[in-house]
Amino acid sequence: MRKILILIILAFLLTGCGAKEEPKDNIENNNDNVIQDNQQEQQDTQDSVQKEPSGYGFEYNGVVIYMNTDAAPVIEALGEYQHYFEAESCAFKGLDKTYTYPGIEINTYPLEDKDYISTIDLMDDTVSTPEGVYLGATVDDMIAAYGVDYIESSGSYTYIKDDSKIQFITSADEIVAITYFAIVEGLE
Amino acid sequence: MKKILINIAAVMFLLAVIFFLQELLMPKYMSEIPEGNLVEEYYREEKKHDVIFIGDCEVFSNISPVTLWEKYGITSYIRGSAQQLVWQSYYLLEETLKYEKPKVVVFNVLAMKYNEPQKEAYNRLTLDGMKLSKHKIGAVKASMMENEDLITYIFPLLRYHSRWSEISAEDFKYVFGKKKLSHNGYLMRIDVKPVGYIPKGRMLADYSFGDNSYYYLEKMVRLCKENDIELILMKSPSVYPYWYPEWDRQMVDFAKDNDLAYINFLEIAEDKIGIEYDKDTFDGGLHLNLSGAEKFSEYLGEILSNDYNLPDHRNDEEYEKIWRDKVDFYYAMKEDQERELKEYGYLKSYGAVAQTIGDGQEDE
Repeated sequence: MRKILILIILAFLLTGCGAKEEPKDNIENNNDNVIQDNQQEQQDTQDSVQKEPSGYGFEYNGVVIYMNTDAAPVIEALGEYQHYFEAESCAFKGLDKTYTYPGIEINTYPLEDKDYISTIDLMDDTVSTPEGVYLGATVDDMIAAYGVDYIESSGSYTYIKDDSKIQFITSADEIVAITYFAIVEGLE
Repeated sequence: MKKILINIAAVMFLLAVIFFLQELLMPKYMSEIPEGNLVEEYYREEKKHDVIFIGDCEVFSNISPVTLWEKYGITSYIRGSAQQLVWQSYYLLEETLKYEKPKVVVFNVLAMKYNEPQKEAYNRLTLDGMKLSKHKIGAVKASMMENEDLITYIFPLLRYHSRWSEISAEDFKYVFGKKKLSHNGYLMRIDVKPVGYIPKGRMLADYSFGDNSYYYLEKMVRLCKENDIELILMKSPSVYPYWYPEWDRQMVDFAKDNDLAYINFLEIAEDKIGIEYDKDTFDGGLHLNLSGAEKFSEYLGEILSNDYNLPDHRNDEEYEKIWRDKVDFYYAMKEDQERELKEYGYLKSYGAVAQTIGDGQEDE
């Protein structure tokens, strides 16, 4: 009987440990919820990305912005913004923030005590991607700049690079929307 | 015989220890993220409601059942939870019908935008609170992310065992029982943060709601029809996340095709309901505060009362007794929040601490 009890306990513990990678225990403030567990796990997986910016970068006023990188130095370098908006994050604990500048809108997501770049929307044709694609350009322009390694769906073309993607939405062969996205679970 | 008894006692003891550990390690959601308690609070409720609301934060923040009671004698409960997905709404409704048969069900359609599970953390906020049943199993199966396991929802200890190093006094305090936080599923907030700049909705490649969302909405329609329940679809008057006209048209068409009512309260929020977005929201337009929720509930109550002939129970002694306590709790909480606002200048408790009070540069 004793053996059975030990086996039950072992099975219980081993199943639990095997079911999911254990979150790190060094979370400050010990807030007791799974949201933080997940944040810690994502922080672990993103650390490497954030140390060395990678994926698609967008340049604005001399500042190169990468997805999943710390937003604070970017916002500081860009100077005064036109509009600011914040909303409780649906994916993380804290606030999603939106900063609007002439021609672009930058969105961030919270993780631990920092905000990270989640999306950049190009709002008009005063700005273009570093590869030279802008609102009003054609699908051929896009292919010339980014190649044919895209995913097409309902008139949108998506290119993926590392933990980022750039999406072009087209209408009648013309690009009508350009958005950079961070690839992070839970972000829309 | 003695040996058998000892063995049985040992197994019982082991199970008791495991049960205790599970209760201890599960997140309590008392001082933070109170919406994590909403689903399970329902089980402690007297289940005699004429109206059940289901959906996401746009129901549990925007509708006050106490106002519906005080103004119209309507008995209602909100089975809401954070980012409640359509399939979760369906299974919560299915489960609710096991306990009671409302005359009207109101579903908030914002969740139609999600065609697939989004994140484990939000699944947990809805599903951990459900009692173990075939409805919960169904909800979990429909909701699980790729890296999740059904067994961890049946035995949450398997998910939360690593919380042992984070255990706080709150975990011990509420290990065998929690205090009530909501008012029939409504989470009260009286603080004010006016609507400022609202970002425009990003252009989408495809505005069509997904097949999965429609599948469960259609199941909800069938479930209500089979149980002779009026189903109302609504878009709550929250100004963000952006509700696209293309989405609205799909809901108008769906309602027409299924002979349902669909009301977009966002369109009439200011003109007809009287919501003032400079003082009726606590977070810049995502959710209504108490004054906004009371205005909206009063307007909604008139529709429910007049168009759906819901009875006024205020003169029914049995109901009156149940709701007297609820009304007292409601005003006591309102008074306490007013005290906090006066004392600190902001809400310190009631789940408000997770939000930023201000953030440097103001919108121009």
